[in-house]
Amino acid sequence: MPSDAYSNRVSSITDASQHFLKRIGVWDYVEHARTNPVHQMQVWDGISGARITFDASEIPESSEMARMTENLNLQRALLRKLSDTPSVQVIQSVKVESIEREAGDANHWPLVHLSNGLTLRARLLVGADGFNSPVRSFAGISSYGWSYDTQAVVATLNHAPRGPFQAPNNTAYQRFLPTGPIAFLPLSPGISSLVWSTKPHLAAVLSKSSPGVLEQLINAAFRLPETSLQYIYKRLLEGATSSEEIKGEIAFRERSDGISSHSAYASATSLVSEGGIPPDDADALPPLVTSIQPSTIASFPLRYNHAESYLGEGAGSRTVLVGDAAHTVHPLAGQGLNLGLGDVDALSRCIAQALTQGSDIGSYTTLMPYARERYFENHKVMSAVDKLHKVYSSTAQPVVWARSVGVEVINELDSVKAALMINAGAGSQLQNASGWDLLAKSIENLAGFTNTSKMIGSTVGAGIQELAKNAGQRIFGRL
Amino acid sequence: MFSLVQRQTTRLSHFFPQNARRFQSAAATSSTINAAEIAHFSRLSSSWWDERGELAMLHRMNPVRVRYIREKLLESTFEDHGEDARREMESRREVLKGMDVLDVGCGGGLLSESLARLGARTLGIDASESNVGIALTHASVDPQLSSSGSGNSLEYRHASAEQLVKEPKRFDVVCSMEVIEHVDNPLAFLSACAQLVKPGGHLFLSTIARTPLSYFLTILAAEHILHEVAVGTHTYSKFIDPSELISFFQSYRPSPSSPGTPTDSGDMGSGASPRPWITRTYAHGLPTRLEAEVRGIVYIPWTGEWKLMSRSSTPWGAAQCNYLFWVRRPMDS
Repeated sequence: MPSDAYSNRVSSITDASQHFLKRIGVWDYVEHARTNPVHQMQVWDGISGARITFDASEIPESSEMARMTENLNLQRALLRKLSDTPSVQVIQSVKVESIEREAGDANHWPLVHLSNGLTLRARLLVGADGFNSPVRSFAGISSYGWSYDTQAVVATLNHAPRGPFQAPNNTAYQRFLPTGPIAFLPLSPGISSLVWSTKPHLAAVLSKSSPGVLEQLINAAFRLPETSLQYIYKRLLEGATSSEEIKGEIAFRERSDGISSHSAYASATSLVSEGGIPPDDADALPPLVTSIQPSTIASFPLRYNHAESYLGEGAGSRTVLVGDAAHTVHPLAGQGLNLGLGDVDALSRCIAQALTQGSDIGSYTTLMPYARERYFENHKVMSAVDKLHKVYSSTAQPVVWARSVGVEVINELDSVKAALMINAGAGSQLQNASGWDLLAKSIENLAGFTNTSKMIGSTVGAGIQELAKNAGQRIFGRL
Repeated sequence: MFSLVQRQTTRLSHFFPQNARRFQSAAATSSTINAAEIAHFSRLSSSWWDERGELAMLHRMNPVRVRYIREKLLESTFEDHGEDARREMESRREVLKGMDVLDVGCGGGLLSESLARLGARTLGIDASESNVGIALTHASVDPQLSSSGSGNSLEYRHASAEQLVKEPKRFDVVCSMEVIEHVDNPLAFLSACAQLVKPGGHLFLSTIARTPLSYFLTILAAEHILHEVAVGTHTYSKFIDPSELISFFQSYRPSPSSPGTPTDSGDMGSGASPRPWITRTYAHGLPTRLEAEVRGIVYIPWTGEWKLMSRSSTPWGAAQCNYLFWVRRPMDS
């Protein structure tokens, strides 16, 4: 791939994951020029604008919060490492035709039939085969979960590098819109990646929009007030699909929202010149997207899914699940790959320990510590991410108010934030837990609050909203 | 041999007051194997390798036993040959490479398989023919165990320790895990196991102490309340306290009739009294660490794992219930 072309599938590697990759000798094979550190994370509420900023400088002994890289870069590194490891044999360009149980009475092993006619008899079959895991079906492990009414649109974005008066492109931005979060992930000084989770009908239009349209919509989605965005979506769905029409609609909303053409919040009407003194708030927003790299727009459905067990039993024994085969999570916190790497780390430690004990590494008892170490750890992070998604999907006033106050209060407490970030894997002490996790916990109870306020009749509901507003004003006054 | 067992029984009967009568009567029979218990375990045999079945607790106990054996052998290597030798041994995956290891009462082969994977030339013996059958079948589907090319080998025989004593072969390590509380004549059994150990070799036992706690946990709770273990697996009166094992090895002398160790009989013939395996004990009757050790193992229900208690946890290493016992035969005995 040319050095200025980037794949649309990227991942954020937490410090804990990076340590693991270093320990197993893979990190040296990663092309470092194609990775980009994230020094800062800005997350804000699509309705209230309440913002939380995480900065790596607030964490002791760490210079970056995470590192963005293309999945391809990591895959290439892993393959190179494997080909340099003589004890590992990689069978390439084959498919698994079927997996079956060996005939016989007790203690049968899984047989993996390959498309080249080879059959592998596995002491331990590791299912690292993704969401539709054939190993999971073979092992008869059921999973529970649901599809979000959300589709993720991804693309690789070109934009001007940050000017001399601004911090370089090492900040990740995420705005929680009621339709889903939109995220801007920095890949290089002038290139970033988009993950825009939104309603399926919108995602369909976005991913098929004509050239020049999506970049304008991305710029607007980070800048316009929620009501104006709703209007733009409406126009888009009504068929205003040309670049000129969209530019006109956005410019119209910017004028009616009173956004000055010299403000950082202007995109269609922006008169801000590049390289000059940036307007106020320029650092609070991602740079303006100028174009989208060819054929990088794609969309895929978002799911929540967790296998009921990570270990096969009975007729499915000698199987173990890791990564997406075991769990699928909303990408809003960038935890999917990191949870998977955490699984692999735990499983490899479990197997190494078993070898010193002469254990059969395919046995259920041997693998139990792996499942015990990971299952609830993953569940915790997954449900935290899920709740974040749900809390931020709400437009109900009390919920918006409570989540905004929560976030703004946390934002003022530097020590609490540092603790959150150390947990997020930016510090290496704790493995793979997520700052999102704690952030979510602090507003987790909101989910219950939402339901309660829905149950109460509308009159009472309105009363509560008034109360909440007043209380909010009072608290903000003190702050 | 019988006369020897009887002599020892008489001498040691005060250490086993409750069982003394039975020891003496059992010594008159030709074997330490209890027919009723063989039948009981044969019924269990088919489910031996079901890790979530009746023997789940035993499957979970296995790693801690192997870990302990490894730890003690590394420690002895350090004592004999120093730190470098210990490091070299530790770095090998096959930590038991080149050793002859006997697993007495191997059952379905749980421990034997692990020992063979660690590189030992392993012989597993069991009094139940069906157990030996299960063990052979299970090992035969595992290429790691059935291939003879790698130097380690695994063999099973339907035999008792007493039968093996009559053969010349002796072992670097003799293990008998969760067995002694099931035999009729523990003294004769212990003596047979001890005779099978080479000079400087190791004997590992695991069993259950005769305490109110062990009755509550292993019989009342595990068998009758939680049904984690089949009813009838354990008999309280057959449980053995660590102090009883230590007493045995304080006065144990190798058998003059042992055919495999002519030096022994030579010594005995010349009237020299060989050194007992445990020469002295200190506070609380604990043996010195280079001669023998008692370590409690405790099942932790919320992790589903057995834990080896630390040496310092109590005078007896928290050996109130299940415990591991290690003793080393002196080089010059």
